[in-house]
Amino acid sequence: MRSMSGLVTGFLFSAVTVFAISFASLNTKLSGTVVAGMLWVALLFSAASSLPRTFLAEEEMGTADLLRLVARPHAVFWGKALFNIFQCVVTSTLLSILYLGFTSAAVPIPWLFGLSLFAGCVSLAGAVTLCGAIAAQAANRAMLAAAIAVPLLLPLVAIGVGGMRTSLGDGALSSGGSASAIGLIGYAVATLATGPYIFAAVWKT
Amino acid sequence: MKTILKAIFALLMGVATVWSYKVPDIAQFQAPGFARIFLWHFPCPMLFTFLLLSASWFSIRIFQRITLKPFAFGPETNAEAKAKWDIRAVACMELSYIYALLTMATGVLFSEIQWGAWWSWDPRQTSFLIVLLIYAAYFALRFAYVDPAKKAAHSAAYGLLALLPTLFLEFKFPRLPQIEQLSLHPTDSILAGKIKGEYAQCVILILVLFAIMTVYLYNLRVRAGFAEIELEKYYGNLETNGSDPTPTGVVRPVSLSE
Amino acid sequence: MLKVDRLGKKYSGRWIFRGLTFELGQGDRLVILGRNGSGKSTLLRTIAGLTDKTEGTVTLPDGDPRHMLGLCALEQSVYAQLTVEEHLELTADLRGCPARIEELLEKIDLAYARDVLASHLSTGMKARLKLAMAIQANPVALLLDEPGAGLDEAGRNLVARITAEQAERGCLVVATNDPIERRLANLELELAV
Repeated sequence: MRSMSGLVTGFLFSAVTVFAISFASLNTKLSGTVVAGMLWVALLFSAASSLPRTFLAEEEMGTADLLRLVARPHAVFWGKALFNIFQCVVTSTLLSILYLGFTSAAVPIPWLFGLSLFAGCVSLAGAVTLCGAIAAQAANRAMLAAAIAVPLLLPLVAIGVGGMRTSLGDGALSSGGSASAIGLIGYAVATLATGPYIFAAVWKT
Repeated sequence: MKTILKAIFALLMGVATVWSYKVPDIAQFQAPGFARIFLWHFPCPMLFTFLLLSASWFSIRIFQRITLKPFAFGPETNAEAKAKWDIRAVACMELSYIYALLTMATGVLFSEIQWGAWWSWDPRQTSFLIVLLIYAAYFALRFAYVDPAKKAAHSAAYGLLALLPTLFLEFKFPRLPQIEQLSLHPTDSILAGKIKGEYAQCVILILVLFAIMTVYLYNLRVRAGFAEIELEKYYGNLETNGSDPTPTGVVRPVSLSE
Repeated sequence: MLKVDRLGKKYSGRWIFRGLTFELGQGDRLVILGRNGSGKSTLLRTIAGLTDKTEGTVTLPDGDPRHMLGLCALEQSVYAQLTVEEHLELTADLRGCPARIEELLEKIDLAYARDVLASHLSTGMKARLKLAMAIQANPVALLLDEPGAGLDEAGRNLVARITAEQAERGCLVVATNDPIERRLANLELELAV
């Protein structure tokens, strides 16, 4: 839709998180692992707080029934997921630039950094879209969506940190960096492949 | 007959308990005597995983009963069948969560005795804690829905969505090269042949007894759930004059408007 | 055209309705009556597939249900940030049917407001827009929940015109307690509380 509020809110939340993390580690030389870990924590909370809105807003505004009547479930899922992927990629890219600038961290393997970030965003957006759909019809939907999404995404964060720390110079490609990148791609593919079917089963129940 | 079987089971459980104190120590543990908690710890994650996979299968069956077509027009009613698969799935989930908690509790005791701290951020301990959080969210989700059909479908969807991350956390994450080297958790297992003889026999006996108990508890839970459905049907039929319900509405022709 | 067989819906252990059976052919206009809370809106939602039925079946002619059935309900909302025209484009795109924007705007008398955001529409204008979206695909079964609510005299005449057209095309189900709307029907269904 036309609303840019999700994008702006997501970015603002992440930017404040990044600033707080950078401020907390003032004058400290951070290792690649710490930088990667903190960046992923910021990405996780930014995604879990802003991305489920796409479904929650439909239920809150009362437009979900209109969509249920006129659209195929797969079309709704892909529409929401692609919007969330776009929002997550834009927010994360801006966030990473900001964060790397604040921490003055070097990126010796930029392609791995970019790949981890992109595949991570696709996975995050796919999984959070589904969590939003699963929680959307509950009474305490906003809190519930974040509560079910965060634990589910922790393994993804673990894989993402693995790939990103290598790209930031901690660890070799052969000792887990490339495996993490493959893991992130696998997670993204699995989420997007099964997502429409899981979504179709909950959307009209 | 049932009483005799229960008595035999209790006897065997007693034998297993005494035996777990009598088996010879394994020297590789720091406090081999206390490490016997392994005998009770080991079956828990195995049964947790088995129950989780069973719950996922039942969740798929719930989805098979929900038509995936855009509109739910179908030739047959499926609410009762869906409710029954949901009861089976939730029975597995509840039992699996008990085993997950037992795994964590026995693991934490082991950690204190062998590694000197209740919590040592061991990768296996940590990944299992995340698994506990994931399934705590499953139950939070169930509590959030009142309508049984929504409760069944939404929790089944989450259960399936959570399966892949859970299997990753349980089996792959602790074995990642960069993670494995940080782990204090013993990797020797019965399958690797490092735990053998009486120790292995004792742990297998406990596993079998736990499995029997699990089947019994599962049946009990499912029967209670089915009885609830029957009871609700009975009261529903009373409310609407028996199993051949009188319509709550009457269609009648009216004169056409002028 | 619309066959409902032993339809039942249970919520929180209580049957909202049960054992409803009726079949509507071309030209049939069924009005659903009943006190507040008798389940009129739930019945329409159940027929439309928006709520799970507990038992029974609902059968429509073969074809894409999104084209076969239209629903206009009181609690249904529209997108505040889309204009009237964009709503019709969006629903046509998602349904995969012709948008018929000019024809529909003329029919519901909203041509003058085609570029107005839905957030700026009055309650009556929103009701007209929802009617237009419901009939966009020329459905064989049209379900209307309190269609006259929020409409002025002209709006009520519009509802009468649309229901007459629908009777020529297929069948109609109206949930209402309004005596004027009751006169639109040739069949009545009264739900007990």
